[in-house]
Amino acid sequence: MISVNGESLDWSPGKTVRDVIREMNYRFPLLIVRIDGRLVPRGSYDSTAVPDGAEVDIIHLMSGG
Amino acid sequence: MDDRNMITVEIDGKPVTVEQDTTILEAARRIGVFIPALCSSDLVDPYAACRLCVVEVDDGRRKKLVTSCNYPLRRPVSVETSSEKVMRNRKTILEMMLARWPNVKLISDLAAHAGVSEPRFIHPGADLNPNACVLCGLCMRICEQGIWENIINFTGRGADRSVRMPYDSRQPHCIGCGACAEICPTGAITMADDPNQPYDAEMVRRAGMRVTEEMIKYDDEQCDMRGVGTAHLVEIMDAYDLLPVMNYRFGAHEDTPKISSDVFRQNYFSKGKPDGCWLGCTMACAKAIEGFRLKTGPYRGEKVLVDGPEYETLGGSSNMGVFDPDFVVEYNFYCDTYGLDTISFSTMTAFIMECYEAGVLDNVKTGGLEIPFGAGDAALELLHLIGRGEGFGLIAGRGIRYMKKYFAENFGADPAFLQDIGMEAKGMEYSEYVTKESLAQQGGYGIALKGAQHDEAWLIFMDMVNKQIPTFEDKAEALHYFPMWRTWFGLCGLCKLPWNDVEPPDNAETDEPAKVPGHVQGYCEFFEGVTGKPQTMDSLVRMSEKVYNFQRVFNLRMGFGRREHDVIPYRSAGPVTVEEYESRQERYDAQLKEDAGIDPKGMSSVEKVAALRKHREKQYEHLLDAVYKRRGWTSDGVPTVEKLLDLGIDFPDVLELVRKHGG
Ligand code: SF4
Ligand code: SF4
Ligand code: FES
Repeated sequence: MISVNGESLDWSPGKTVRDVIREMNYRFPLLIVRIDGRLVPRGSYDSTAVPDGAEVDIIHLMSGG
Repeated sequence: MDDRNMITVEIDGKPVTVEQDTTILEAARRIGVFIPALCSSDLVDPYAACRLCVVEVDDGRRKKLVTSCNYPLRRPVSVETSSEKVMRNRKTILEMMLARWPNVKLISDLAAHAGVSEPRFIHPGADLNPNACVLCGLCMRICEQGIWENIINFTGRGADRSVRMPYDSRQPHCIGCGACAEICPTGAITMADDPNQPYDAEMVRRAGMRVTEEMIKYDDEQCDMRGVGTAHLVEIMDAYDLLPVMNYRFGAHEDTPKISSDVFRQNYFSKGKPDGCWLGCTMACAKAIEGFRLKTGPYRGEKVLVDGPEYETLGGSSNMGVFDPDFVVEYNFYCDTYGLDTISFSTMTAFIMECYEAGVLDNVKTGGLEIPFGAGDAALELLHLIGRGEGFGLIAGRGIRYMKKYFAENFGADPAFLQDIGMEAKGMEYSEYVTKESLAQQGGYGIALKGAQHDEAWLIFMDMVNKQIPTFEDKAEALHYFPMWRTWFGLCGLCKLPWNDVEPPDNAETDEPAKVPGHVQGYCEFFEGVTGKPQTMDSLVRMSEKVYNFQRVFNLRMGFGRREHDVIPYRSAGPVTVEEYESRQERYDAQLKEDAGIDPKGMSSVEKVAALRKHREKQYEHLLDAVYKRRGWTSDGVPTVEKLLDLGIDFPDVLELVRKHGG
């Protein structure tokens, strides 16, 4: 189990940041991802695995009028 | 590190690992190896014109000279940046350049670095100007590739080659963005006019150029503002259950893809033509549709140019339950033509449609209009009636607040129901976001001075998705800072989209990325550059606070500035009908249990709707308390005398007015 913005999400080995974003249906492009407080650079969502028990924050910025 | 295939090469004996297709020049820069490069910039495609960046590449079979700025690394090669062959080649080029442009500092510096102080030749066409053009082509490439204009180009051949505007005349299409002047390495291009006579034009331009650079580098992968403008938000809002559907009853619909930004990109928007509201804007998010043939109204059958649609116009269409792109374009055009605003029109039409479906209205009352959700033709007919000031259009055109009263008085409708579903505050129609799951945003609409508009504060992601502002105090702080900050754009006549629709690369590492501190700094410089007065984030907000409080007092004087005027229709805070509740039953049941401490088991849907409503309405009142307190207002929402004096507002009649209202 991991937590994403305070909500629980199932964990499986090898689950990446990209998988989490997809599962949460986070379609917004301006995201800031932190795993247990550590910033994950935007280019490496596919290659960064999320460890079991992690607290993931996926901060959405604002856009539009 | 990027996810693409990585490759390791050696540059001057140092190993470096980079993504495949990185150029040698870029790889060398990453490990601090200097290669002179005159015609290259990360803002434009490589051009390989100056040939100063030559290096020697050894792929194991043979060695060859290549230009490093456009040589993509695909195999593990070794590179020498200053072998004998390279230096011989480079020196010859620099000697020729130095002979031609002896006083251009950049050239003499590069020559000195390569060990050349005097050229061996004399150039018959030597140009002694220290700011001579060295024909690097950066300016015309940034104009074409970066700004999407195509204003300047090389003309002439050989020694006569130079950069020109067509016919050597001022081009009306040049937007004056200044990118060509900023990128020019010699100062050959300068901006001629400073009609507003800013205190420090350079400071203004540099701040602007930073946004331009971000647009060039990141817009494609961020919001694609230049490609589709704010239309990109349609599919995003749908994904987060925030796109208003059928008078804000729901937040998503299976037909949303039919009006997504991709549809407009592929089939409607004119391509590759940047369109900014003001000359010089390089975000250029306005979009146009050319040659659209109208199907209705006074211009039926004619081909017209349509400005838009933007997100709100699209969200307005889903709000009316119409998912037809042709309809969107047609109603966009006629709203513009009649001088109506697409937000007010669509929100009030959605209200009419719900009234029609609920039996408040029928064909007789509407004068023959059959207008349930999804009836695009009827919506257009209504639009023309409003435009002509005829029939039911005369009633509808006066807006939701008027209709609520009119329907209750003349058609016997239940005023409480109309109040619940009539999406307006202070008489202004809501813009196109579903706010039910974000208390902070309910406040953002309800407290906004001008009425139900999100442009004071758009907090839904912060509140509902990121859960960054969980307490009333957190929400109140956000409802202090953002409305003040956003008011500042209005004070200066600036658009706020360049603030948060493109993001600086290091924004994530800042303390408060939601505020985009790098851009706030840019606005401080912009203000200082124009006025000569240095600013900070706090001083900008302070400017707004004065005006904002003054506006609140203005509202008060006009009969709109108290707590009772910050009420919101319940549709914006929660499900009004059983149908709405049941469409998101799991969510609402969980909230009843976890947030309100009420076990929904055994309750009927009607009871659950009522229980949730009681809870949410209480939350909203708490929020108002917290926001008023944070802003230094009374619990009735009136700025106190103390607050006004602190802001330097001491007009006797103003103080008298707030005193009269307990301030
Ligand atoms: S100011 Fe902008 S639009 Fe005009 S020529 Fe320069 S880059 Fe092109
Ligand atoms: S004007 Fe400046 S940027 Fe343009 S080609 Fe000449 S030197 Fe390069
Ligand atoms: S920088 Fe490579 S050819 Fe000019």
